[in-house]
Amino acid sequence: MAERFEEKYNHVRFEFIAVGTGRALKLAERGDVCAVFVHAPSLEEAYAEKGVIVGGRIFAYNYFVIVGPSSDPAGVRGAKSAAEAFSRIYRAGEGGRALFVSRGDNSGTHVRELSIWRLAGLDPHGRPWYKEAGQGMAETLVMTNEMMAYTLSDISTFLSLKKRGRLPNLEVLYSGGEELINIYSAYLVESCGGAERMYAEKFIEFVAGPEGQEIIASYGEEEFGRPLFSPAASRLQELKALWEKLAGAQG
Amino acid sequence: MNIVEEVLEITLRSLVVSGTATLLASAWSLPLAYILAKPGRLRSLMASILEALVGIPTVLLGLALYMLFSRSGILGFLHLLYTVRAIVVGQAILITPLIAVTACRVLKSARESFEEMALALGADDLQAMAIALREALPGITSSVVMGFSRAVGELGIALMLGGNIRGTTRVLTTAIALSVSMGEYELALYLGGILVAISVLVSLTVRLLKGVQGL
Repeated sequence: MAERFEEKYNHVRFEFIAVGTGRALKLAERGDVCAVFVHAPSLEEAYAEKGVIVGGRIFAYNYFVIVGPSSDPAGVRGAKSAAEAFSRIYRAGEGGRALFVSRGDNSGTHVRELSIWRLAGLDPHGRPWYKEAGQGMAETLVMTNEMMAYTLSDISTFLSLKKRGRLPNLEVLYSGGEELINIYSAYLVESCGGAERMYAEKFIEFVAGPEGQEIIASYGEEEFGRPLFSPAASRLQELKALWEKLAGAQG
Repeated sequence: MNIVEEVLEITLRSLVVSGTATLLASAWSLPLAYILAKPGRLRSLMASILEALVGIPTVLLGLALYMLFSRSGILGFLHLLYTVRAIVVGQAILITPLIAVTACRVLKSARESFEEMALALGADDLQAMAIALREALPGITSSVVMGFSRAVGELGIALMLGGNIRGTTRVLTTAIALSVSMGEYELALYLGGILVAISVLVSLTVRLLKGVQGL
């Protein structure tokens, strides 16, 4: 998207830093970045209230996936909801039949994982089968693969590692549903000023606008045989309502 | 567990893991250093190679060992991956060149000045070796302290082989990396302070012990 934007404004160059949502918002707070692309409604709301980020635009969504060993000892495949899937993993964990690897790093994915445990009415912290990796999604998936464990992942990281043959033991066992919807928003950082602010604003407009949405709709199709994200524009009202719900539920 | 207890636990784990790795590495690096300290073309070639390996990137060694220890690796049956034992082995290998090279240099000069003299004065081989070793001891302890400092401060191996798992394999450096990735810069600096303090304290303690023993 930045390439297409830079074609239109050929004197503008973007620099991207890929970090988890928690850190992205900290960088925003310190004034080190001009715009953030994030996916943790409760954290976003907290920073918006502090006045760090402004002008939020939902631009894409996809679904988190619960991945685990193909043998599926906890029976996640038969679950009716993400919370039920987690309950099954909890029971199997207590029975010594399953492990769960958590990001444990306050990222958007980690925040969502914790909210699903809360929905299930369970607290896995400190249980011997619950491993808090404190690492990025790719490292966590590799660890999950090694341990024949379960984890919650975003679909893009899972597919790209799977495609490179790094996750032979893992499969998507559960996906979809409101509980697992993953909503991506873009914000302007309030402390950013001048021309930087102007172009950051224009870029967010571009991403959320028709051209950006078109790019999102097909992104990843070539490489993975399916797009990695869905554009938000056509379902904006619905997504906004879900976003509100997530922001409230995870606070 | 509150944050203070957790920091204490992580600190203790760092000390034990890197301390064990240092002892393990010393067990083979010091004899290796003694052998390399003798004159010889092949020996000096090996010493040069070891010197070059002193600065090996920890993430590279971590990756190589990860491939060995992983479920599909040839040492996968040991089930070492994501345990503190894996970190110990990795750090021990990491600091082997450093300890061997620095100890070798000290031993070489001790051999040249004392062992030959002792032999000339009628000592047998074993006595001569003992004299050279005693003369080299302060330098050797410095090598070992340097090894510990490198082990306790490395990140790549602890992260790749240990996995930074809370309550089992999280050590100071991986906790710092996590704090940074979470944007908790103050906590990261605080943990960094502990790390540096440990290295300095260990070094000072060893120096003090040397003084007490008249070394």
